[in-house]
Amino acid sequence: MNIAVCVKRIPKTAEADIFIEKDGTDIKKDHLVFHLNDWDGYAVREAALLKEKYGGEVTVITVGPEESKEVLTRCLAMGADRALRIEGPPTQDGHLIAKILAESIKNQSFDLILTGVQAEDDNCGQVGVSLAQMLGLPHAAIVTHIEINGDKAKVKRELEGGIDEVTELKLPAVLTIQTGINEPKYVSLAALLEAEDKEIKDLGMEEIGFTSGVSVDTKIDQVFFPPVGKMAEMLKGNPEEVVTQLTEIIKKKKG
Amino acid sequence: MKIDPKTFVKDYQLNVCIQCGTCTGGCPVKFRSPLNMRRLVRQSHIETDPSPLFKRPELWACTTCSTCSLRCPAGVKNVEFIMGIRNYLANKGEVPSTIRDALENTFLQGNPWGRFRDRRADWAKDLGVKILGEATTETLLYVGCAPSYDPRVQTVSTALVKIFQKADFDFGILGKKESCCGNEIRRMGEQALFKKLAKDNTNLFKKSGIKRIITISPHCFNALKNEYPDLDIPVQHYTQVIAELIETGKLKMPKELNIPVTYQDPCFLGKQNQVFDEPRKILTSIPGLEFAEMERSKQRSLCCEGGGGRMWAEGGTEGTRNGEIRVREAFALGAKVLATSCPFCLLTLEDAVKIVGLTDQIAVKDIAELVSETMD
Repeated sequence: MNIAVCVKRIPKTAEADIFIEKDGTDIKKDHLVFHLNDWDGYAVREAALLKEKYGGEVTVITVGPEESKEVLTRCLAMGADRALRIEGPPTQDGHLIAKILAESIKNQSFDLILTGVQAEDDNCGQVGVSLAQMLGLPHAAIVTHIEINGDKAKVKRELEGGIDEVTELKLPAVLTIQTGINEPKYVSLAALLEAEDKEIKDLGMEEIGFTSGVSVDTKIDQVFFPPVGKMAEMLKGNPEEVVTQLTEIIKKKKG
Repeated sequence: MKIDPKTFVKDYQLNVCIQCGTCTGGCPVKFRSPLNMRRLVRQSHIETDPSPLFKRPELWACTTCSTCSLRCPAGVKNVEFIMGIRNYLANKGEVPSTIRDALENTFLQGNPWGRFRDRRADWAKDLGVKILGEATTETLLYVGCAPSYDPRVQTVSTALVKIFQKADFDFGILGKKESCCGNEIRRMGEQALFKKLAKDNTNLFKKSGIKRIITISPHCFNALKNEYPDLDIPVQHYTQVIAELIETGKLKMPKELNIPVTYQDPCFLGKQNQVFDEPRKILTSIPGLEFAEMERSKQRSLCCEGGGGRMWAEGGTEGTRNGEIRVREAFALGAKVLATSCPFCLLTLEDAVKIVGLTDQIAVKDIAELVSETMD
């Protein structure tokens, strides 16, 4: 079972102070720490578990700048065998990223291609399903369980309202992996340092077949903070005063 | 680096064990978990491959208080053994998920809670504290993670700043450049991450040109003083500094605090580093304060269960918490305040006060908070 996992390096924004760049098209990132997209971490762990069960090789692929190597190293420490970085154009265009991934994957023989459901930064959830369409492969999105039976994969998909859908797909197939499908292992610093010695292959756009450039279909004009709502009221004072005010408000609302 | 559990017998001197049971007899979590140090040492010694023993979840119940290894008459390195097992498990990625998150957070943000690195010194914003790099001083107050981020422990940090400022004591902090000391990281099994933190922090201290380091937490005190291989700058716990300031007459405590107080010795300050006298000297110097000693004190002080990564562990123990036992002991003694000098003791004991329902009877306070109250 040869598996490809597509991953992304993203900034950690929870709890961070967020500022917008001068040109208004992105947030400032120089003070942020970066890590492997949470969903992709589950996908890599799932690939490693499938490898343990069925054998084969796990290849991790990312489209991104030089710094993206750090997440590939993490994936190698998590059990991936090979890593590939494609130096793509700086873009948030999920459709284009899918196109680049499809070009790099189409001539390789993978039984399974995994992506995270979405990325923590833009939350678009486009790449996995677009990639399946471009490769002409069956796909299932938001997968929470995988069973391989011969040349078929039986998967559970998470639907709204707590319902699971069970689907069977013919391999090769593309699956987008939901968090919680497994319990990611801790990746120790010792394991990361060991993985740093493993090779990461770098390819340019021309090397994977984009000889005449690419068109970017999505361009971000402006990013902005959500407008402050009128319903929120910040209570001021020490805990006792805040509690008194709060109980007054609750009493009033209760009528 | 691969760890071979077969070398543990030699590494931690398991073969000198005489099976006297002193370790298990003194273990503060022996009634709270199936952890049995005597049995663990024996089984690990006689098994050809002890690694299956290390899958037991109770290995994460140990608080690394070190009562066992300090009392062992034969010289078994019990606590180092527990840390060795955890290191073996961490390298294989087999740690409980909450411990995993704490370790990953420390790697990324420099603190186990994963709070934003740039906000580390927010607590000191309006206090007029020198930030090293922007101002010069020879004395570093190494704040630590809990005193930087935890709202309850931040009051200890601000109290200490107030004390130092009133005593005209010159000091500075590293601000957002400070990272976790790694004491708990090492105890959760991440030896490589600990080494990295030790190296980075040591370089930062040396570059700042400081000549003295003061810590708020006994856990940071222990790591910096005993476990940083290349740090040759003297390290003190803040209670040692306040005791000095009182003795030399630089610190005045004008207001009387007419309250009965007892004191919880933090394991990493007391039994592990023999700092017993200074905290008591401070408490007995506070005018009006009536100090009483609990029956189990100093070397025999009962661990609060906050060490060894237990602050980030979930479950693994059951029954009455040691903190509850301790609060009841202090209450029975007639104390209105249970004082301590460790952020983890402060948090675990304060939780325990709520659990036993004594919030209007007894308070848990850090010594720095009590000293600061005498200056209001």
